[in-house]
Amino acid sequence: MKRAAAVLLAATVALAGCSGGGGSGSSDGATKSISYAVSDPVTLNPGRQTIAFAQVKELFSSLTFVKSDGSLTYLNAESVKSTDAVHWTVKLRPGWTFHNGEKVTAESYVKAWSTVAYGPNAWENSGQLVNIAGYDALNPAKGKPTTTQLSGLKVVDDLTFTVTLKSPDGQFPVQLSQAQSGFFPLPEAAYKDFDAFGKQPIGNGPFQMVGGYTENEPMTVKRYDAYQGPKPTVDEIVFKPYTDMTTAYTDVQAGNTDILFVPAARMAQVKKDFGDRAYVFQGLGMNYLGLPLWDKRYQDIRVRQAISMAIDRQAVSNVIYGGIWEPATALTPPGEPGTPKDLCGELCTFNPAKAKQLLAEAGGFSGTMEIRYPGGSGLDDLYNAYANQLRQNLGIKDVTATPTTDFPEFQKLRNDKKLSGPYFSRWGALYASQQNTLRSFYTKAGGCVNCIPYYTPQVEQLLAKADAQVDPQKAIAGYVDVQKAILKDFPAPPMFFEKYTYATSDRIAKLAEGAGSLELENTTLADN
Amino acid sequence: MARFTIRRLIELVLVFFGVTFAIYAAVFALPGDPISSLGGDQPLSPAVVERIRNLYHLNDPLWSQYLRYLGHLLTGDLGVDFRGRSVAERLASRWPVTIRLALTAWVIQVVIGVGLGLVAGLRKNTWIDRGVLILTILIASVPIFVMAVTAQLVFGVKLSLLPIAGVSDGWPTSYLLPATVLAIYGLAAVARLTRGSVVDTMSSDFVRALWAKGLSRRRVIGVHVLRNSAIPVLTYLAIDLGALLGGAVVTEGIFNLPGVGQLLFESIRVHEGPTVVGIATALIMIFLLTSLVVDLLNSLLDPRIRHD
Repeated sequence: MKRAAAVLLAATVALAGCSGGGGSGSSDGATKSISYAVSDPVTLNPGRQTIAFAQVKELFSSLTFVKSDGSLTYLNAESVKSTDAVHWTVKLRPGWTFHNGEKVTAESYVKAWSTVAYGPNAWENSGQLVNIAGYDALNPAKGKPTTTQLSGLKVVDDLTFTVTLKSPDGQFPVQLSQAQSGFFPLPEAAYKDFDAFGKQPIGNGPFQMVGGYTENEPMTVKRYDAYQGPKPTVDEIVFKPYTDMTTAYTDVQAGNTDILFVPAARMAQVKKDFGDRAYVFQGLGMNYLGLPLWDKRYQDIRVRQAISMAIDRQAVSNVIYGGIWEPATALTPPGEPGTPKDLCGELCTFNPAKAKQLLAEAGGFSGTMEIRYPGGSGLDDLYNAYANQLRQNLGIKDVTATPTTDFPEFQKLRNDKKLSGPYFSRWGALYASQQNTLRSFYTKAGGCVNCIPYYTPQVEQLLAKADAQVDPQKAIAGYVDVQKAILKDFPAPPMFFEKYTYATSDRIAKLAEGAGSLELENTTLADN
Repeated sequence: MARFTIRRLIELVLVFFGVTFAIYAAVFALPGDPISSLGGDQPLSPAVVERIRNLYHLNDPLWSQYLRYLGHLLTGDLGVDFRGRSVAERLASRWPVTIRLALTAWVIQVVIGVGLGLVAGLRKNTWIDRGVLILTILIASVPIFVMAVTAQLVFGVKLSLLPIAGVSDGWPTSYLLPATVLAIYGLAAVARLTRGSVVDTMSSDFVRALWAKGLSRRRVIGVHVLRNSAIPVLTYLAIDLGALLGGAVVTEGIFNLPGVGQLLFESIRVHEGPTVVGIATALIMIFLLTSLVVDLLNSLLDPRIRHD
């Protein structure tokens, strides 16, 4: 028995020995520190990140900045101007520096953009620059490119550069806003070692790194005192990685973490759990129910309209998302300026009698309606609800909702057109313009892997016409025309305008809403 | 004994090749392209996808990919994942978490499970015995997910006693809750097994002979009964440790512990072939090694068991 006790004791000592490093990240008196639950960022290089938006937005400042009301303002840029929507002149604000003191110049942008677009680098965000002249030369179909520079970029002086686009695009300034991190500047120091830079980036934003980023460990950024943009209200942000956001939810409830983006699985209860400390912000996510336009049963427009009118969107939202998601009434989310109200009209309004009648006129529906969606993403409730609604309200006996094993499998089925029924289809826009959502869903080049493959020359033409407008109001009118044209064909029912829901611990008095996100840096702390 | 050990080690090598190939092929066969879903909703341009695919030789046939992988593996190189991170480094950063969690859970199982089993076995058919039976069956029948979330709500949110996510408070604080939840599931088995074994031994002829010889209760139970009851329990505990080291996927997920189980789950989800094979191979090796150690231990404890 003594021996056993000794072994246990030894094990205990060994365990205690290998646990290093205690807790960190709590605020100490004067420092206004907040913590934010994130998933592990993988890399903080703005040209490569795909899931580190929150972090790079604090470390870097974009040229332009879209506010929560959708209005465009200038941040690192003083102006971004064009008369023909093809040739753009970007003027930078003077006096800006990177966190290592290096000046932010026109060259910081031009060199960075060429690097992001350079084919052999294979950087994840290179697609954001596809419309800049010279992009194709950096990405030849075969072999190595013969140049390393984007030919459409010219440095004029220290603070000015010009951009030539492949096709006219009046939305270019909006594309330069805070979530399109492929357009962020890079300091000279980055080019020495991009792996190291991805772990400890030096940006031009309101916050700088404290130490580097290590996988699965909290990461801290502190205020950069020489920052020339609007002064943030907090001094320090700690990004805490979680693999399971429902765990993060419980951790915020326990007060261990301050802020989180509420996962879908907790939306139904967030208002009950958090009361005033739950925030619902306008999102840029657009949710459709994709339809297999390649299957002849869905080729009659009345079938597609019947499906749309047979689903009580508000009831679905009430049950699954606590009424937070808003039933869609247009093809783009309201966070994108100029999105018309109630454009979809009765086609997006629940009307089971009319739905049944339309389906009967189209000759009914034969066989099983097999709804598919990516598994393991918390979407089961939503698609089962759709299945129930369609079964009850359309009188189709066999409606099933089946998840795929994972996202890659879903993508493959969708790309190969192997789906035989309604399917998951959504797009979260990176910049607040109807252009982003419409392009992704309705153009081949949009490349959205889960969107409806509905591409027509007419839509392409109307989109190009709207894109060519420099005047924002004229552009908006153009995009509304695109929506009207698409609705005539009604390729797939728009379902929801996604809302982004956040919850906070009681240390936070107020969250600041951003465009399609929150402005973490402008969080107000409670006085205690 | 030596021959037995060598034979088992050779088996291990064969299993190693078989398993790595089987898992590599399984990941290869998963439908869908892991590269084009690297960006989530946001599509990567086809050119970028193609370039990354070439970088990792994903367009090669299975046998060529596997041989390449094996070649690197034999030189000790576990390769890199699709984001360019070293698999060996990622594993190395996660083993300490998993080992701490598994050992803590295991110690809890040993102390409480064997303790309860001993008490129940020595007090056969009393209310204590039945109480232990009911208690262990009750807690083991609650799904681990429910148990974990309830424990988080009670001890983390309501009582604010223990951290519920992450390892930033270090050992033991951060590990107490997940380890206890994890331990509970082996507990019933350990307790029942110990009880049964003790009851069997107590009623065996040699124990009756010991009583007849007039040995003290302490000596009969403390030395003879315990040692003879230990064999099945020890076998179970050793295999259980192997399972704990590799099987804490759910617990690591719910408690946000950056361990090996969590990495395995994430890697399977995104079709990270090299990472999955690396982890699975390591886990299987651990399992085989622990069962080898068990076999050797058994023959030490009970000379009647020979391996020649």
